[in-house]
Amino acid sequence: MSAIKRIFGIVWALMGVGIVPLVIKQAMKEIAAKPSEENWIFWSIVIVVLMPIIAFSLITFGVFALKGEYDTLEDI
Amino acid sequence: MAQHVRDVSPTEEVTSTRRVIAASSVGTLIEWYDFYIFGTLAKIISEQFFPKDNPTAALLATLATFAAGFVIRPFGALFFGRLGDLIGRKYTFLVTLVIMGGSTFAIGLVPGYKTIGFFAPAIVFLLRLLQGLALGGEYGGAATYVAEHSPAGKRGFWTSFIQTTATLGLFLALGVILIVRQTLGVETFGDWGWRIPFILSVFLVAISVFIRMRMSESPLFVKMKKEGKTSANPLAESFKQKDNLKMVLIALLGATAGQGVVWYTGQFYALSFLQNACNIEFVQSNMIISIALLIGTPFFIVFGALSDKIGRKYIMMAGMLIAVIAYRPIYTIMYSDANLKNKVEVVEKKVVSVKNAVKGADSLITTITTKTFTDGTSFKETVKAKFPVDPVLKAALPKDKLKPEIKKEVTLPDNLKYKMIGLVLIQVIFVTMVYGPIAAFLVEIFPTRIRYTSMSLPYHIGNGVFGGLVPLISTRLVEATRPGPGLPPADPLAGLWYPILIAGVSFVIGSLYISNKTNNMDA
Repeated sequence: MSAIKRIFGIVWALMGVGIVPLVIKQAMKEIAAKPSEENWIFWSIVIVVLMPIIAFSLITFGVFALKGEYDTLEDI
Repeated sequence: MAQHVRDVSPTEEVTSTRRVIAASSVGTLIEWYDFYIFGTLAKIISEQFFPKDNPTAALLATLATFAAGFVIRPFGALFFGRLGDLIGRKYTFLVTLVIMGGSTFAIGLVPGYKTIGFFAPAIVFLLRLLQGLALGGEYGGAATYVAEHSPAGKRGFWTSFIQTTATLGLFLALGVILIVRQTLGVETFGDWGWRIPFILSVFLVAISVFIRMRMSESPLFVKMKKEGKTSANPLAESFKQKDNLKMVLIALLGATAGQGVVWYTGQFYALSFLQNACNIEFVQSNMIISIALLIGTPFFIVFGALSDKIGRKYIMMAGMLIAVIAYRPIYTIMYSDANLKNKVEVVEKKVVSVKNAVKGADSLITTITTKTFTDGTSFKETVKAKFPVDPVLKAALPKDKLKPEIKKEVTLPDNLKYKMIGLVLIQVIFVTMVYGPIAAFLVEIFPTRIRYTSMSLPYHIGNGVFGGLVPLISTRLVEATRPGPGLPPADPLAGLWYPILIAGVSFVIGSLYISNKTNNMDA
């Protein structure tokens, strides 16, 4: 179980890293296509609020998992 | 846990138990009620305070809706959580209640944009921020307070009463709004009647403050304070120490994020879907949600109590998994049952009425078309076309200004209405599975000295940010499937991908990393 937890740690960390360029690229594409106020507000909320939370928490969580910090929380 | 502090008789303990649960739950319920009336009346509030022709006011409207729910709630969690760990749970969640009640009451008294201009949206925006701040501090305090009074084997059961309050608060908000609207009539309600639900809050809060003032401090906090073990800096201890930060992350990613999206989908998205995608008439759609909420609410307690027996994790994870699998089939049935394309019209019952009224320099043509279908469904379409009487002025107006306002209302027959209630109820059951045990889960994974701070932040990020963004992101996903302006979306269910993805990831993380063992919550 510990090995699976650690391997998945890499997945979470990579997801956290990967989400940043993906979201920024999509935002730039959509705003360039239609630079409406609605688009700006939506992508501002996603980039300023949601993305940093997801990226920071997934990367930190992934690194902790990879280092075996969660190995002791065993019950399955 | 009361026995740890002093010896009490069983009768005294039961009375004390009931008092602790009642005092905490009533206050939290009122806070949710206060928070939801703003959201439920968003359209009217927007008309009163945030006119569309003023871009700054329109921007404030968007920020008022989102900022208070998403950005401010976690800040409230940090601010009041820290206070609660430093000075005590009781006084902190008393303060949040007063702030929430005061700002809600004040919103009901703020003059409209027509009277005081830009001050109106600015004041309402600030009051909404105060609401979000107070809500961020309330829940963690109430859950911690109840959990620290409860015995180890009954913590899930006791705290589940706190878990009913968010749903009951929404139910109360919908109920009060419906009653006031029906009593005063739609026009008067839109004019000034909408203020009543806000003003009513002051009486509810006064009662709740009176009850809470008579309560004693949490026994675990009192014990810890006596021993001089309180934290000097709860924020630093919560988020800078690795051992605690890793639990905050697991609580967020493995539990509250998934719980947040399931909660918002089962209640708010369901209502929005009924009203906007299915065009179900206002009163009927609210009735469907209200009845489903009322029937589903006891299950918070059922699953809270069950989590004391079989563990918190299994119930929460089962709720997330079933929700992920069942959302699309449930919404497909809902959409199909309300879709007029699947119904046969009774052509001879079709009624069309046209009214032409001249108001000043404008002409208003209202066309009402009523259709009846063989299964008993009725459909009403109101088209309001407003344009200048002067043909020269009319010709000079841009096309989008001449676009008629169209309102579609579908009223379902009883059998389909009950079916809809059943489909929403299933989603409410998912909500009760993930939300019923979560307060006990959160309080148990953090130590007493920093519990209020540590549990509040993941809870409000999970609910406020991940959950609160469900309407915004889901609407956006549906819009992305629209082939062109004015055309129906190719996939009206596309909005479900956001909660499905978040709940799916949360399920995998929670299943892998969360422990099903119950902690003893020692100070």
